Amino acid sequence: MKKALEIFLGILTAMGGFVEIGELVFTVDAGAKFGYSLLWIVALGTIGIITYGEMSGRIAAVTEMPVFFLIRQRAGYAAGLATLLAALGVSLLTCAAEIGGVALLLKTLLGGNYFIYVVLALVFLLLVVWFLSFQAIERVFGLLGLMMIVFVVAVFYFNVDWAQVGAGFIPNVPQLDTSKDYLVYAYFAVALLSSIMLPYETYFYAAGALEDGWNASDITLNRIIVIIGFTFGSVLAIALVLTGASFFKPLMIEPQLPGGVALAPAFALGKWGLIAALVGMFFAFGGAAIENALSGAYNLSHFFGWTWGKFRPPKDAPRFNLSWIVIFLLATVIILTGVDPVEVVEYSIIFAVVILPFTYFPMLLVAQDPKEMGPFVNGKLANILGWIFLILVSMVALAAIPLLIITNGGKG
Amino acid sequence: MSFHDLDLSDHVLDRQVIDSNHILCGKVDDIEFDDTGELRVTAILVGNGAASERLPEFFKYVSRKLFGTRVTRVSWSEVDVITHQVKLKSTAAELGLDERSGAAYGIVSSLPSSWKK
Repeated sequence: MKKALEIFLGILTAMGGFVEIGELVFTVDAGAKFGYSLLWIVALGTIGIITYGEMSGRIAAVTEMPVFFLIRQRAGYAAGLATLLAALGVSLLTCAAEIGGVALLLKTLLGGNYFIYVVLALVFLLLVVWFLSFQAIERVFGLLGLMMIVFVVAVFYFNVDWAQVGAGFIPNVPQLDTSKDYLVYAYFAVALLSSIMLPYETYFYAAGALEDGWNASDITLNRIIVIIGFTFGSVLAIALVLTGASFFKPLMIEPQLPGGVALAPAFALGKWGLIAALVGMFFAFGGAAIENALSGAYNLSHFFGWTWGKFRPPKDAPRFNLSWIVIFLLATVIILTGVDPVEVVEYSIIFAVVILPFTYFPMLLVAQDPKEMGPFVNGKLANILGWIFLILVSMVALAAIPLLIITNGGKG
Repeated sequence: MSFHDLDLSDHVLDRQVIDSNHILCGKVDDIEFDDTGELRVTAILVGNGAASERLPEFFKYVSRKLFGTRVTRVSWSEVDVITHQVKLKSTAAELGLDERSGAAYGIVSSLPSSWKK
């Protein structure tokens, strides 16, 4: 019974934690710009994150080694440090964007000064991480983030062309007007894939498995949570693309702010639709801010061999705890400069894809090594998918920054 | 594994160091040799100051600015067992590897409820 509850909560948490501000912005915008034609990227990214999420959880459960432990061990200090710094940069930017997103939502809900809400968001997040256990944070933010499911309900109120939706899941490139439009399409495909496969998700998931004390007996639990939780999470991402395509595109609106996106469920379901969307986004963004700050602290601790973990009293893991506090503070300083959080997240997502191959390659090497994994080594399917996605993200990583520059961040 | 066939680069360098109480206390950031006679390992070096020596000049500078220059020398005779980790015979505090003595500890331990799980 306890195991069943753990699986159920794990699935809901994985689902509720699937969407953050970057994914929200890119999925809705992708739908508003290109209709249903980028749905196949959502499906592809979901298979990718399931493949590597499962691998990271399995490695953590079997070897008790989190991601940056492996990166340093397999790639050495120099290459590992470069990956660490890049990952920290991405986590910092993403954390900043999420804090900005929370502040924007509070401003939409309550009115008032944005910068005061930035500071309030910081205080709230610091207190939550300091006082709540890892499990409580995971559950509260994951489950309340599920209120974003209102977007799935709202889709049924819009005029969705379901035949086109089906066609969108088949890899395609739509007929566009100019060659620049094709580049913008490619940019959105890259950004969407990156936003679904953000590297911090595997860092945090593996660290969470260790925080929860998983061992080899939890392999099935890991598999169920990843496959079902991430698949259901992607249903939410698909609903956001459909919202963009069927609600915003006909109105010729490309919403740039989270509050603007919430207009869709408000239109469909009235005041309660709006409130559910905003509250769901608040916890989804807040949860992602926490995951990024903690991921940064986990990565630093695992790389340098420091004592880490939310399961210890903070004074027994001082560097780990000081690290996430500093990440929150730096992220807040970035947002207090007045920079647009949506722009920050766009950059963080594009830079994130560049570090994906450096994160996944050591994981794949360990997961397919029978000396490390014993009977829990990758099967044929995990190996094939692992290599396909490694090659894919490597190619996407090479294209990401040129596309960012050429398309002016997708603005054409 | 006997010490005779130990591959230092594969099995010691960059491995996690744990003390006699299984407390994490850094990584093997470098290895010290005595080359006056027969080449032999004399110590493991723990701390970013040692690891950053393995980087090109510019990256060494960046690494030291960000993560410090501290180095703690742990005599090879203190090494107890080498598995996927390097286990020491003494405690972190006895070897100068205890995290609960630096600036980070000073800040974190002064915050309310820092002793609570």
